[in-house]
Amino acid sequence: MLFNSWIFFLFLPLVFAAVYAIPQKYRWIVLLIASYVFYGWWKADFLIIIAFSTVLDYFCALKIEDSENQYIRKRWAALSLGINLGILFLFKYFYFFIGSTAWMQDFVSPHQKLKDLVEFFGKSLPVGISFYTFQTMSYTLDVYYRRAKPERHLGQFALFVSYFPQLVAGPIERFSHLNEQLKVEHKLAYENIQLGLRLMLYGFFVKMVIADNLSYTVSSIFNDPGKWKFYWNIIGVLSFGFQIYADFFGYSLIAQGVAKLFGIELMDNFNRPYLSLNISEFWKRWHISLSTWFRDYVYIPLGGNRVSHSKWIMNIMLVFVLSGLWHGANYTFLIWGALHGLFYLVERFSPISIKFKWLNILITFLAVSFAWIFFRAENLEQAMQVIKGLTGLLDGQRQLDTQPYIFLLLLIFGILELARGNKRFDQFCASYSGIQRWTLYCFLIFCILTVCGSEYSAFIYFKF
Amino acid sequence: MKVNIKHIAYKFLAVVFTVYISAFVYKKIYWVPELKDQGPMLFNLLEFEWHNDALYIGESSNYWIAPEDQDKRTISDMINDSLPGFRLSGMQVPAYHAGMFLPIVDMIDPSSRVKHLVVTMNLRSFDKPWILSTQEGALMRAKCFYYNSNPVYNRMCAALGYYQNPSAESQDKKMLEAFEFDTLKVNFPLQFNTIKRWCEQEKFPLPQGGEDFPKRELADHYIKAYAFQIDTNTNPRIKDFDAIVKVCKQKNIKLYFNILAENVEWADSLVGKELVYFMKANRDLLVARYSKMGVVMVDNLEAVPGKYFGEKNWTTEHYNEFGRLIVARNVADSLKKNIKP
Repeated sequence: MLFNSWIFFLFLPLVFAAVYAIPQKYRWIVLLIASYVFYGWWKADFLIIIAFSTVLDYFCALKIEDSENQYIRKRWAALSLGINLGILFLFKYFYFFIGSTAWMQDFVSPHQKLKDLVEFFGKSLPVGISFYTFQTMSYTLDVYYRRAKPERHLGQFALFVSYFPQLVAGPIERFSHLNEQLKVEHKLAYENIQLGLRLMLYGFFVKMVIADNLSYTVSSIFNDPGKWKFYWNIIGVLSFGFQIYADFFGYSLIAQGVAKLFGIELMDNFNRPYLSLNISEFWKRWHISLSTWFRDYVYIPLGGNRVSHSKWIMNIMLVFVLSGLWHGANYTFLIWGALHGLFYLVERFSPISIKFKWLNILITFLAVSFAWIFFRAENLEQAMQVIKGLTGLLDGQRQLDTQPYIFLLLLIFGILELARGNKRFDQFCASYSGIQRWTLYCFLIFCILTVCGSEYSAFIYFKF
Repeated sequence: MKVNIKHIAYKFLAVVFTVYISAFVYKKIYWVPELKDQGPMLFNLLEFEWHNDALYIGESSNYWIAPEDQDKRTISDMINDSLPGFRLSGMQVPAYHAGMFLPIVDMIDPSSRVKHLVVTMNLRSFDKPWILSTQEGALMRAKCFYYNSNPVYNRMCAALGYYQNPSAESQDKKMLEAFEFDTLKVNFPLQFNTIKRWCEQEKFPLPQGGEDFPKRELADHYIKAYAFQIDTNTNPRIKDFDAIVKVCKQKNIKLYFNILAENVEWADSLVGKELVYFMKANRDLLVARYSKMGVVMVDNLEAVPGKYFGEKNWTTEHYNEFGRLIVARNVADSLKKNIKP
């Protein structure tokens, strides 16, 4: 089920009413059923994978906790991680792996059943598999490192894994942060409803008005970069930077808003990333739940910055390449990650320092936008074509018929983002009078109704 | 939980007022330009000159022109030219079917001069590949813009996916199942009673072994397109055409169904008489059903010779100038019989 679907607007009030209508003791049941319905609405078959991961991690964590023998603890942790990563590999990387290794192709080709199996995994990608797999893996690792006590209530744990507002596209929550909140009683509070609806409204504006309106410009450019005058290629590439931000940020806001209705605080996934002064800062502001995941569970276990210089460089590159591959099995994601790693290292070792803040922001934004080309392109060939288009080498002559008001909306979005500073949108609104707040809400509703993208489109990050 | 009911009432009113203003502004400023892309047939209807006597609704068959054509008129233009003093105007969108025409027919103003309506009846639009086409979701989305409600509501229906949007995967699955399990029931010996079995048979063997693949592929495509039997109880297109008949009766509009010409010659030469049987049987069923309902049936199924079809490597209802002229004359003849002097 998508947040921006009509069925969600029926689903949410029903779940809301059901949750608050019953005693706290049983609320987890309603929320768990709602989460499974939410996920299964797209494809019920894949619920079995979530259920399997849940049961596996539940038992593995208990086994880890119950044993004092380090070897046994490690074995259970390895089993949990191995199976979770195995499932992720099968559904996300197996097809790509077979397709890009000649000897595997030679092995598979003569066997029809094997070929069908490869095809099946190539075609079936459970929505949000990377998100919930990483969330459950962090739980097992936290229990293994004794940073968290395992959950002994299977149903409660199942709810932590599948809590619907953040199930399919994050934020990737930590067990200690989310599970405790899910267990505490949350009274029906007007303030929660108010704050939740504010976040949701802004989220819908950002997704449906900004992201969806930019998608036409972006897809026209990426589908045929040779067709358009070179400056349209530049506009298209920059637009994608804003589109993906608005799409993912919009999702995160709605997720936070929905969770807030039930009294749950989800972590902030974004902090105005395009105002970063450098790449290192960008990664502290962009998809925060994923970057902190890689920091805590990959970078630090690899030794962090307490290793030799050369190993540190290797680790940095490894973390960035892995974060690229997390998004999907494609060389484009690998290059996207590697580019960020490279930018990070160049920045670190560069003897030049620029004193103008705005120039630093601009350079970082342009570097990130350049890397987005690989993220958006379907293959390397397309990415190279877009890059050629940027330089004017493709000699395209056509003008794109993008509606000019889209750029005005983007400007309004930019002003709102600048105005809210480091405050979250709900807190930002709280600092204004009722009339001012409601003028803004009415404006956002007006924009959604009149100029939102009329295409029913899924969130970009759903496919990860 | 303490709430101030008065405050909530003010907020509710503010939202209602915003929705009202949004609906007004959208209709005044954005609606018509957006219809051009999203709901082209309604856009055409808004531009339509209501002092015309007749309306011709169709798909790409109306305007498709062969590169070598001297006469580049559409079928509806040709009909119009054959009926002096009578004004008919055409309206068409590629790949549309009766389900898409229905809301447009519903919007015809009964007090207008339009008293004759010609709707194309494409035989292939009754088959499984068309009904289960992966384009159906996009068509249903466009149909949101044709709902008889406030334009801003229609727009939100499209944006929030309030329409049937089957996945390509499920459509393909259903189609393959239909090819495999839908049996063809006839009162003569038919060697292959499902599309799957029919397609699996060896065709066009070459002397050196193997098959003439392009011909085989085309023959299989003809089988998939025409080897079916319309079930009047379940076929969604029947429901759409029935509804069009009902609406026209209510509006007192004389209705004509123009059964489009198919390349029967090619169906015969590529597959054989059995396939032609199904084409004719379906045509006969449609003619009988809708004649009984008072619709004027213009039967063009076999009217256009194979050489006048524009595309030889696919099943389309695209004719060159001579083909279009034949179809237009047949429609014009039917109209003539029903126009009051």
